[in-house]
Amino acid sequence: MSNTNGNTKLRFLPTGSSLHKLSALLTLLLLILAFSFTSPAFLSVNNGLTVLLQTSVIGLLAIGMTLVIITGGIDLSVGSVLALSGVVAGLAIKAGVPVMPAMAFGILAGAFCGFINGLVITKLRITPFVATLGMMMIARGVALQLTGAAPISRLGEAFGQLGNGSFFRIVEMQANGFPKVIFPGIPYPAVLLVVMALIGGFLLQRRQIGRHIFSVGSNEEAARLSGVKVDRTKIWAYTASGALAGLAGMVLMSRLVTVQPNEGVMYELDAIAASVIGGASLMGGVGSISGSMIGAFIIGVLRNGLNMAGTSAFIQQIIIGIVVIGAVYIDQIRNRN
Amino acid sequence: MLDANAQETPLVQMSEIYKHFGGVHAVEGVSVDLYPGEVVGVLGHNGAGKSCLMQILSGAMIPNGGEIYVNGQEADLKSPHDAKKFGIETIYQTLALANHLDAAQNLFLGRELKTRFGNLDEARMHTEAQDALRQLNPNFKNLKDPVAKLSGGQRQVIAIARAIYFQAKVLIMDEPTAALGPSETSMVADLTLRLKDEGIGIFLISHDMHDVFDLCDRVMVMNKGRNVGTFHIEDVNKDDILSLIIKGTLPDGWAPRGESK
Ligand SMILES: Nc1ncnc2c1ncn2[C@@H]1O[C@H](COP(=O)(O)OP(=O)(O)OP(=O)(O)O)[C@@H](O)[C@H]1O
Ligand SMILES: [Mg+2]
Repeated sequence: MSNTNGNTKLRFLPTGSSLHKLSALLTLLLLILAFSFTSPAFLSVNNGLTVLLQTSVIGLLAIGMTLVIITGGIDLSVGSVLALSGVVAGLAIKAGVPVMPAMAFGILAGAFCGFINGLVITKLRITPFVATLGMMMIARGVALQLTGAAPISRLGEAFGQLGNGSFFRIVEMQANGFPKVIFPGIPYPAVLLVVMALIGGFLLQRRQIGRHIFSVGSNEEAARLSGVKVDRTKIWAYTASGALAGLAGMVLMSRLVTVQPNEGVMYELDAIAASVIGGASLMGGVGSISGSMIGAFIIGVLRNGLNMAGTSAFIQQIIIGIVVIGAVYIDQIRNRN
Repeated sequence: MLDANAQETPLVQMSEIYKHFGGVHAVEGVSVDLYPGEVVGVLGHNGAGKSCLMQILSGAMIPNGGEIYVNGQEADLKSPHDAKKFGIETIYQTLALANHLDAAQNLFLGRELKTRFGNLDEARMHTEAQDALRQLNPNFKNLKDPVAKLSGGQRQVIAIARAIYFQAKVLIMDEPTAALGPSETSMVADLTLRLKDEGIGIFLISHDMHDVFDLCDRVMVMNKGRNVGTFHIEDVNKDDILSLIIKGTLPDGWAPRGESK
């Protein structure tokens, strides 16, 4: 009994992975602090919501990416799958399907791409890097082929709801006849991100599938010998990643109220960076949704803050690249001790 | 030679098992059986094919030929999952633990306990694992540490606890005490005898002659993938076994040494 007490006491001290999360969170706060000094408009409600909105797409991708990375894999196809899902939804709407089912089709198309990734990886035994690299090109190719590389526009106001709508928006009519936004509301994409992150975290921490995902990434052979259905677990993870890419596609295209078949290029790299900054290990077996969400926000805040400070997009790339390497390096030093 | 058990159906019967990897003939037409409440030692030099034979029985390796019967019924063991359904539990030579998971998570891996709502029942898994581990090692601590941080002996204790927790009918122990200290080793010896008394059939792979003579009822010796002899333990002595292991034959002029004939 005295033992158990000792254990609970010890648990107040951060363990390896929560230490990483803590330092990532600290980094995020420091960034916010720094940017609010460099540009006064940074720390406003409106800008906060913008960051939230911008982060939601990367965040959704990062949830799926984290699941895949924990299995010891990687999913390079999410950016292209996002575009293909958008195209499927756009074409469905053009064919007369109502918005909701059309979006469901889009998400299903994403899940299907992920499922194929999983099959290729487990049944053909192609490494995840190569399999999803192939899917990255295939999905992009299909998206461009289906649309002739032209955007699909005039999709109707309902299509824009998901990306542009918000809860609790308060608008007041002024005496001069112009509306005044008192509270811009909580954007749907942000709410969606929170809901999906909670579901993802729940599945990963509290359900059998999550435990199996960790075990497969930690030691695939041990998982197999313990009776874990390794192939099924991996296929599940890639399918979830594809579906989330589809969902992210809906959010992004809806926000633009236009389907752009060449959207989402290199988004997979942001999603991977978010997971890795959040403490996921590309060797597998380590990672968390909460960490990846912090990682996604670090990238979102960096992008937004640098934009507001007038930094060029090229410099932004350089800085984010350095942040990713730095995060992994710090993690390695810590693991060595 | 083995007529003592002839009237019973064997718990496990492996017949004419073959396994090769390219040109390497790891298992060459080996037949062996196991009866309830019996410990059969599987002996042989390094690379003789002991682990391969046992992995075939635990469903971890698919043989190139041969049949396996469990309780007289032909069993098609395509995966470890299949074997576990037949009550075949294995302590693997490699231990088969996931380094990032803790003791309880490893013990219940693939067979997690769940709450009414299908969520993982961490609390129950933790207490059950604690009980199971403390039976083998009363001062087992670090239950919440990832097993990567544990000592070789502690890891082995987890692998053993996992195999016995799920009420095996057939237990395969592939060098279960290789990393254990003397007191844990004798604990495992006691455990082996207790499980045997409960009617469990045990295959024990060991290089330790003391263990073999203390625990086994019969021994089966493999040499270069072949079964070069199965004997009641009373019929052979240490030198006979060593000769079988090294040369693959009994010493010249050998006759059964024990009473059982
Ligand atoms: N997965 C594999 N792929 C290729 N060859 C293998 C594989 N597993 C075992 N072998 C080969 O099969 C032969 C038998 O190996 P096995 O592991 O059964 O030996 P063992 O009797 O258990 O030896 P030890 O006492 O060292 O554990 C060896 O020559 C080994 O190299
Ligand atoms: Mg072996």
